[in-house]
Order: sequence, then C-alpha cells, then structure tokens
Amino acid sequence: MSSKNLILRNVSKRFGNVVALDNFDLEVGVGELVALLGPSGCGKTTALRVVAGLEHQDAGSVLVGDRDISQTPAHKRNMGMVFQAYSLFPNLTVEENVAFGLQMRKVSKHLRLKKAHELLDLVGLDSQSKRYTHQLSGGQQQRVALARALAFEPEILLLDEPLSALDAQVRVNLREEIRRLQLSLGTTTLFVTHDQEEAMAISDRVGVMNNGVLEQIDTPDALYNKPASSFVASFVGTMNRIPAQITDGMVEIFGSKVVALKRGNETGKVHALIRPESITVVAQSGQSNAKVLTRSFMGASSNIVCQTPDGTIVQSLMTSTSTGDLLPGSEVQLQLLSKEVLVTNA
Amino acid sequence: MKLKLNIPLTITLILLSLFVFIPMISAFEFSLRTPGKGGYGWDQYLWAIREEDFLYYIIRSGWLAALTVVITLVVLVPTMTWLHLSKSTIRPLVDGISLLPLVIPVVAFAVGAQISFPEFVQNSVLELPFLYFVLALPYAYRTLDIGLNSIPLKTLTEAARSAGANWLRTIITVIIPVIKSAVVGTVAITFALSLGEYTLTVLLHWDTFPTWVTFVAQENILGAIAISMMSLVIPFLVLTAVTLVAPERSTQGRK
Repeated sequence: MSSKNLILRNVSKRFGNVVALDNFDLEVGVGELVALLGPSGCGKTTALRVVAGLEHQDAGSVLVGDRDISQTPAHKRNMGMVFQAYSLFPNLTVEENVAFGLQMRKVSKHLRLKKAHELLDLVGLDSQSKRYTHQLSGGQQQRVALARALAFEPEILLLDEPLSALDAQVRVNLREEIRRLQLSLGTTTLFVTHDQEEAMAISDRVGVMNNGVLEQIDTPDALYNKPASSFVASFVGTMNRIPAQITDGMVEIFGSKVVALKRGNETGKVHALIRPESITVVAQSGQSNAKVLTRSFMGASSNIVCQTPDGTIVQSLMTSTSTGDLLPGSEVQLQLLSKEVLVTNA
Repeated sequence: MKLKLNIPLTITLILLSLFVFIPMISAFEFSLRTPGKGGYGWDQYLWAIREEDFLYYIIRSGWLAALTVVITLVVLVPTMTWLHLSKSTIRPLVDGISLLPLVIPVVAFAVGAQISFPEFVQNSVLELPFLYFVLALPYAYRTLDIGLNSIPLKTLTEAARSAGANWLRTIITVIIPVIKSAVVGTVAITFALSLGEYTLTVLLHWDTFPTWVTFVAQENILGAIAISMMSLVIPFLVLTAVTLVAPERSTQGRK
C-alpha cells in the first residue's frame, strides 16, 4: 500500500479542564517526515494518539489521503506505530513480532515470515529472528518495533518518542536509521519528540507546539533562523535575550546599530534575540563591554558565557582555537556578527 | 553454583510440607487397610472403580468445573482488562465486590439463589457453574489482577491495536499469552474449587462428585477415602495438561 498524506483539521481535545489540542491543524505531505516538537504537556503526543485512533478527538477531523478516518477504530487505520516503551510482545519471537500486523491481516504464514525477514534484514537484525525480545538490547528492541510498524506497509508511520529510552550513541545511530528507512520506503511519517536535536536532524519539517497549538511549522533551517515567535525562538536552540531600544527601526547591540526585525508591533524597549554563534568575544581590556564568567570546551567549539555591566548574561559559541585567552574573569569585547536581529517585546 | 541454605525458610517449608502431607499420607495409609484380613491392599480402590456411579459423578463434576473455568475466563479477562486500562474510578468498588463471596455465608448465598432465580434456571444443573464462578471470584480475580498489574498492559494493547488487532484478538493473541501464568493459576484455582464444592451443591439439592463421596462414606468409609485420594489426582492432571498446552516462555529480563 502506498503512502498517503495526513491532514488534521481543527482538532480539539480536552482532558477534564486541560486543553490538550486547541483547533489544531496539521498537514503532512506524501513521503514527508514531520516532527512535532514541544515541552511536556504541549499536546504533541495527544495529536499523534488522535491520528492513531488511540484517543478520540472532541472536535475536528483526521484525513488520510481523501479518506476521513475520524471515526475509524485504531485497528482499521493501517498506521504503523513505534512507542517510547518498546512494547514488543514478550510471548513472541522477534520474527513473530514483526509478522504480527500481517497475521492480523490474515496474510499466509509463508508470506508474512518472508516479509518479516525482509524487514529484519533492513534493520540489520535478521540473525536475531528466532530470539525472544527480552534477549535483545534496548536499541535492538526498538529496531524490531520499527520493523513491526513497517512490515504491513502502513499508509502512515507514527513515532512516539521512539528514542527517549535509549543511550546517547544508540539514539544517534537509530535516528539516522529511521530516516534512511523512511526515505527508502517513502512512508509518510509523523514523529513526536521533546528533543530538538533529534527533530532538527532527521525531519523535513518541524512543528513547534505550545499549549495545544502549533506555534510554527517549517524546515529546521527556517525554524532556527527565522522563528515566528518568541516561544519558538527560545525553545529551538539557545537564544540570547538582550535588552535594547528601538529607534527608527534600528537597535543598538554592543555598540553597533543593526536592523530590528519585528514579529509584531514591537516599539520602545525590546529584547533582541541573538543566537550564540552570532556573537563573537574578543579579549580586549581597553574597550571592554563584558566580563567572561565561564568557558566550556566542547571539542571543535567552545561556549563562552559573559556578563555585561548591566548584568545581562550573554552566551557565545566560537571555534575553540580562538578562545584560548578567554579565561574566566577576563575583560572582553562582545561583537555582533549579523546585520539584523529579531526583536520581541520586553 | 553453591546452594546457600536459608535456615528459617527451610524450617518453614518443612513444617508446611508436614502440615499438608501428613494428613494426605495418613488418609492414603488408611485407605489401603484391609479390615478382617489384616495388612494392606488395593481392595478399596478396586471397589471404587467398580462402582458404576464413580465415573458418572467424576465426569459430571469435571465438566461442571470446566464450564466454570470457561465462564470465569470469558467474564473476568475482558472485564479486568477494561478496568485496568480505563483508570476507572469504579475499580476499587469492583475490587471490594469481588471479595463479597468470602464474607457472605454459602447458606445465605444458596437461599438467595433459590429465591431469586427463575424456576427454569433452578431446574437445570447449569446453574451450578455460574454459582461456582461467584464462589471462585475472590481467588480468580486476585490471581488475574496480579497478572495484569505485572505487565505494561496499556502499551501492549495499543501496540496490538495499531498493528491491526481488534479487541477480541488483542485479548486472545496478546493479553492472555502474556499473563499466561496468571491465567493458568486462575484455571487451576477455579477448577479445583468447583470440583470440590460441596455445601452450595447440597443446599441446592444437586448431586456431584463430592456429594456422592459423602453418600458413599456413610456405608464404606475406607472406600470413600480411596475415592477422595483418586479425586486428588484429577486437579493435578488438569494442571499438568494446562501447563503442557501452553508451554512456558520466559518473559524474564534480558540475560
């Protein structure tokens, strides 16, 4: 079965007094991988569970292709799902787990085992097919869960924080593998995570959610460089918030005047939103405008935390080779590398 | 590997074994006696097997117990799965209700059944499995409860449903196999309790294996004990059969 596009239209869901989804709209194109990113309780998992049919929306509709599945029970939605907790069936072997969806679709034993082995081969676990799931590591179990979700060729693949329970290195490897598989199979995928690095690394587009609404959905690059709101700006990546004053559409940052990019009707006192990599720190005792608090070495780059005389904390990300003399306590000059900065009301 | 001897545990086990096995061994020894001839023999067992009613009542009690097991599983597994998944506020209430058969005297229960059941139900021996189900409820409920508490029920059912299994298939192909040891325990408890149930059966004027044994005991006490010894073997065989039908698959942590 080929992949379809997924549309959520005006979906609302409440749990008692808590609004989990508020007129939520989302469209995932055919073969696209869209991540929903947001803090705990923002509604991202609820959105995914509504798509899967594991929660029923109070209002709105869910469409796959041109088919409205709002009232379709979960087992008839033809969606593969990978959960945070591995959720493999402990009474079945690895191959039986992968073939489970095909067994439910009454595919003959020969064909479903053949398909299971194909999928296990894709995730590099064909040699483990006769083992039980408890005999596998966490990363292997999640690979089996991925194979199980893809074995019956779902129209949509749903990933509910599938990497959260894994070790750092395994997470990185598995997320690359998920992306590779998703691209090769062309499966429309909705991926829920609270880890922005994960979301940015493998998604075609990332939707940032807050309080049950989608604040912004865009490519990782656009989301990082052109955040639509103050929330997105501070949630995605690290963002310095530096007090400034708008005069004639310009703001003065570290002594230089730059263009203020407004998101609304910002006037007067504002906060300039500046990424750490847009600020450079120069050791200069004569015309200093800040003092180094800490320097964190992170391999190729270093994170320098400084404090300006008015008490503002400023982070700068620089290549490690140019930070040798930026010792804690030293007087420095902060310089802005960009010609324009985003501003938000103070 | 050296086996460490846990002295308090060993003493407890020995005392418990003595408590359980001494009466059984004594009964067995008693049933082997041959009055008048002296010594021991299998006379009473041969007599019991030759009794034409022996087979009739053992089969009757057997299928009544089997039916009770079926009713218990069909009613309890879906209901308890739903209770565990729904986070329903009625769960503590149901927990309490399941204990009621322990506090309601069987006599009151039997009288209640006689007053409330319509006549056509009272005229059928099929009323017994439903009543046995109620009597076995406190034990069956707790055994299944422990089983369901020990697994990630929500995730497993959601995984099964998203993979295409409806509720019935989710219960049959996922939940029951995963809580197999609890299901086997429930089957064993319910079967044994139904097979040996006496008071309620007598009060409702039905004849089953235990009531027949009591009847036989009035004229041949040694024979009755021989029959009881043989009937002990039946639950054991059932347990073995159930365990063999559902082979054990380890669900332990990673090795």
